[in-house]
Amino acid sequence: MSHPVFMWAAARPCRSDRMRTDAPSVLVEGVAKAAPKPAPRRRSPALRRAFPYLLLAPALAYLLVITLYPGLFAIYQSLFVVKFLNWTWAGFDNYTTILQDREFWAALANTALIGAISLALQTGIALAIAYFAYRDPLIRGWRIVYLMPMLFMPSAVAFIWKLAFNDGRVISDLLGRLGLIEGNVDWLGSIWLSRMTLIVADVWQWTPFLFIIFVAALQGQDQEIEEAARLDGASWPKIFWNISLPMMRPVIVVAVTLRGIDITTMFTNVFVMTQGTPGGATETMSYFIYRQGFRMFNFGYASAASVLMLILTVIIAQTVVKRAFHSGKT
Amino acid sequence: MASIHLQNLEKRYGAFVGVQNMSLEIADEEFLVLLGPSGCGKTTTMRMIAGLEVPTDGKIVIGGEEVNEVDARDRDVAMVFQGYALYPNMSIYENIRFPLRMRKIPASEHDARIRQAADMVELGAFLDRKPGALSGGQRQRAALARAVVRQPQVFLMDEPLSNLDAKLRQSMRVQIKHMQRQLKVTTVYVTHDQIEAMTLADRIVIMNKGAIQQVGTPDQIYSDPANTFVAGFIGSPPMNLIEGTAQNGRFTAPGVSAPCLDHVRGKVTLGVRPEDCQVGGDNVQGMVYGVEPTGDTTYLTVRAGEKMIEVKAARDYRSDIDQPVGITFDPAHLYFFGEDGQRIRGAA
Repeated sequence: MSHPVFMWAAARPCRSDRMRTDAPSVLVEGVAKAAPKPAPRRRSPALRRAFPYLLLAPALAYLLVITLYPGLFAIYQSLFVVKFLNWTWAGFDNYTTILQDREFWAALANTALIGAISLALQTGIALAIAYFAYRDPLIRGWRIVYLMPMLFMPSAVAFIWKLAFNDGRVISDLLGRLGLIEGNVDWLGSIWLSRMTLIVADVWQWTPFLFIIFVAALQGQDQEIEEAARLDGASWPKIFWNISLPMMRPVIVVAVTLRGIDITTMFTNVFVMTQGTPGGATETMSYFIYRQGFRMFNFGYASAASVLMLILTVIIAQTVVKRAFHSGKT
Repeated sequence: MASIHLQNLEKRYGAFVGVQNMSLEIADEEFLVLLGPSGCGKTTTMRMIAGLEVPTDGKIVIGGEEVNEVDARDRDVAMVFQGYALYPNMSIYENIRFPLRMRKIPASEHDARIRQAADMVELGAFLDRKPGALSGGQRQRAALARAVVRQPQVFLMDEPLSNLDAKLRQSMRVQIKHMQRQLKVTTVYVTHDQIEAMTLADRIVIMNKGAIQQVGTPDQIYSDPANTFVAGFIGSPPMNLIEGTAQNGRFTAPGVSAPCLDHVRGKVTLGVRPEDCQVGGDNVQGMVYGVEPTGDTTYLTVRAGEKMIEVKAARDYRSDIDQPVGITFDPAHLYFFGEDGQRIRGAA
């Protein structure tokens, strides 16, 4: 949404930086020709003190413009009823209305449901592939292949799956040729089928992320421990279940939490593939907020929903991580 | 309880030979120590016995049964690792119990066996701790208890004491030896520490560059070394090895002269232990290079020509450096080695 602004802001410091580094090099060459030993370069004390801040400035500007300002703006805006330039103070009215809005609760439930199933599937699949793959020395060389889905642009992935399921009917055709179904499946016609298309797309794109983290965790394990377990009579599955998995616990928690936070903001796939159909069954929180803000222009209302979502995410993530690490210690 | 036979065992990594053509008989209930510098193939040999490495060639027989094709987990050997390899997510109790669980030993027996094993290594009070909450010595004992608890046919120990401090090492050494005698389990122990080897072993196998140099009891290895490698590796400080020439029953090197047998001729190396040297006399005519009192004895270093010779002197021996000094060798304990490093033995 604010991308043009960001690009403009980020580009400016770069350009001025280049100018700054170009200028002295010309100067130094000039000095070198005049005298064989160039005098040591001195910076003014003021510049020397400011230098670290100058180096930080682009990153700080980025944070302020992209993260902090919109965040604070959303909180502020959520306290108003906004009709374009016409802001009316509403206090917490937006919040009380939202908490009675069935569409909000439906979106929350959808997000939780689709997110939980998707997250469980990708964690399970990633763990399974990691378990079979981590002892293979070839894996290191082939990591990039496993990462491919993650490297595609999210909207491109969404379009691929939209084509595969809906417009291009690739999947229906494949299933038909295998003799599993007849005719075309209307993936958007059923609540669970349309939810499933979102889950499949997300699992396809993000399983590699978890896989690569899990493989790294498994490869980083002390090999002696595995060998000891082997000599103690444990089979590979038992070693994995009794020893590797418990030892990976902190890594799993962090990876799944990161992925979980990401999933709660699932938007692109919904926007491209289902637009919330049928009957709002695939409307996630992000899509609900988008619809309130940019289709119905209830900016204050959309902001309030964002703020609620933020609070909810922080609370859940905090609890999960805290509990996981606390019980892991004793 | 089982004997172990290694027949022409070999391990190659590409062109590199880790262990070459190794044959060895380890008797039932024997405590055998594999001794050698790092990279000599001793750990590789042990890992092949355990089943963690696949031999390139040769046969491994445990208890009369060839085990080359038997998976590590079915060989019924227990191993104690250098890094302890305790399972960090389990309590000590669960750690010791793990092999019992994996080998499907009836749960009713677990508790008694775990407590017995823990008591044997004096760890009974720490059973509910996690490995992270134990000291190095306690972790090592937990690893021992885990190896003991299932009463395996063979114990394998891979430098189990090398991460401990000197004092603890000594007490653990005695404990390991006591335990092995008590349980009568065939044990193969890998170390690069000759003191550990001498004190623990029934027999020592000295290895270098993947090959066995000598096999024998600690006494044999000490008093009858087969070559210069063994001679220089055993003993602290190690045997003096002096290169020189021998003819007509006399060995000579710069500043050194000693009697030798008539058949010892040409370029040879004389070996004499510091404890078989005495201050005074004329086998060595040299200068005092340094004197190191250690309390119960004093080590004297003498420079003869370019060569440094270590002497175990009387406890109260003192001298300034660069003083002339003579040394006598005990003629009964002189060793001669040929140009190939092999021992030249008695009458030929």
